Amino acid sequence: MTRALVAIRSVSQRFGVDGASVPALEAIDLEIPDGQFVAVVGPSGCGKSTLLSLVAGLRVPSSGTVLCDGEPITAPMPRKVGMIFQEANLLPWLSAEDNVAFPLKLRRVARAERLAAARRMLELTGLAGFETRLPHQLSGGMKQRVAIARGLVQNPAVLLMDEPFASLDEQTRMVLGDELLRIWSETRKTVLFVTHSLNEAVYLADRVVVLSARPGRVVDDVAVDLPRPRSFAMTSSERFGVLKDRIWQHIKHAERR
Amino acid sequence: MRRHERLIVAAGALGLFVLWEVLVRLGRIDASLAPAPSTILDALSRLLRRPEVLASLGVTAWEVLAAFLIAVPLGLGLGFLLAEVSALDALFRPLVNFLFGVPKSIFLPVFILVFGVSIPQKIAFGVFTTIFVLIVGGVAAVQSVPRELVTVGRVYGATRWQVVREIYLPAMAPILLESARLGMVFNITAVLLCEIYGARDGIGYRIAAWGENLQMPQLYAALVLVAAAAVAVNEALRLVETRLGAWRQRS
Repeated sequence: MTRALVAIRSVSQRFGVDGASVPALEAIDLEIPDGQFVAVVGPSGCGKSTLLSLVAGLRVPSSGTVLCDGEPITAPMPRKVGMIFQEANLLPWLSAEDNVAFPLKLRRVARAERLAAARRMLELTGLAGFETRLPHQLSGGMKQRVAIARGLVQNPAVLLMDEPFASLDEQTRMVLGDELLRIWSETRKTVLFVTHSLNEAVYLADRVVVLSARPGRVVDDVAVDLPRPRSFAMTSSERFGVLKDRIWQHIKHAERR
Repeated sequence: MRRHERLIVAAGALGLFVLWEVLVRLGRIDASLAPAPSTILDALSRLLRRPEVLASLGVTAWEVLAAFLIAVPLGLGLGFLLAEVSALDALFRPLVNFLFGVPKSIFLPVFILVFGVSIPQKIAFGVFTTIFVLIVGGVAAVQSVPRELVTVGRVYGATRWQVVREIYLPAMAPILLESARLGMVFNITAVLLCEIYGARDGIGYRIAAWGENLQMPQLYAALVLVAAAAVAVNEALRLVETRLGAWRQRS
């Protein structure tokens, strides 16, 4: 195993709700090697998104440490970590290319240079020809491609994805899933992908981390040993079913409580 | 509006003026109350050549502009403050909401008592009348900024100032301009009301004087002038608003 790029060490997170302290995550330990595609699943409200926001540096854990490349994360590290949300969250007044270039603009990269980088990313995500469109002129799937391009434009080592396809229709979701795998195989990012969909998790990931109901703990860590490149046909294979069922058993129990 | 619709509107307006002209000439309309359009046009061209009338227009324009330039930053600034500081909001929001709904004209005598019949009085009353719509607009503008966009900014390393400049300002721009435009409508109304009520100069002062002396052609000509100026200012602000707000989804 290569060295861990992202290391989550005995991380717990508590939230103050109406004066009481509610645990959201408890004693999470995860080592994610460079280039691995990790899906995080768990019952609703288990703290999956909280886990991502800790790696994104949007909050600091109540206890424990999150390391990226050996460095503790205490604030966002935009050059190392790109993030994609459930909604594309594009700036609606900027064109597709300016949205993709936005992280570079914040770093005061010259306009010509950042637009060139943005266009390369839009080409990678299959949006060549749509550079000057405004977000409201793009479909939901295209907006999410722009968001992925924006996440990649600084060439970060880690890509955090918080249910990125959850608000898309099924066909778009499947097409974008394959696109994501193609982009991942071309760029070899370390991906931390939160999802509700077990199909999506098993289909996309090298490894599926299963969290328990709140407070979230790691209850299983499933290596997905399906060959790559993945194909749609694999989703009906026996192995796919076995993996999915193993994950489902954990979630089923948690959701029943 | 499409082109043929515009033509219909223009033709309709023209027809109305022609009808008016004809009825006055036939003696069916009392020309001393509603002079013929041709008479009004004639009066208008003569007004525009009288230096003291142009000077009055200048006084009014100055009062309107000064009140606007004070009210916009002050009102929007107070709005931002209320939106960001919840204690201030709790304290002042009921007062703002109350005054927002009260007709400002009833306070005019107070302004005359405090400032006298003067240009500062017109400006102060203009600011007072305008500021509430700007405070409310400022609060609405801040609240219209989606939290998720701020999160995007933070994830990509935006400093506090970059969040303000790259996310808050562009996101708020259409609402800010809309508030400014609405404020301008209130502002012009307030300044003219002041001038009509009591003044030594200004186009409102002249309108009141012509009305009292039954100089109807001059009165109507001044109405045309003021209406044209107000519409021009409004449309200019709307143009900027449309340009800056083109990204807003029209569904």
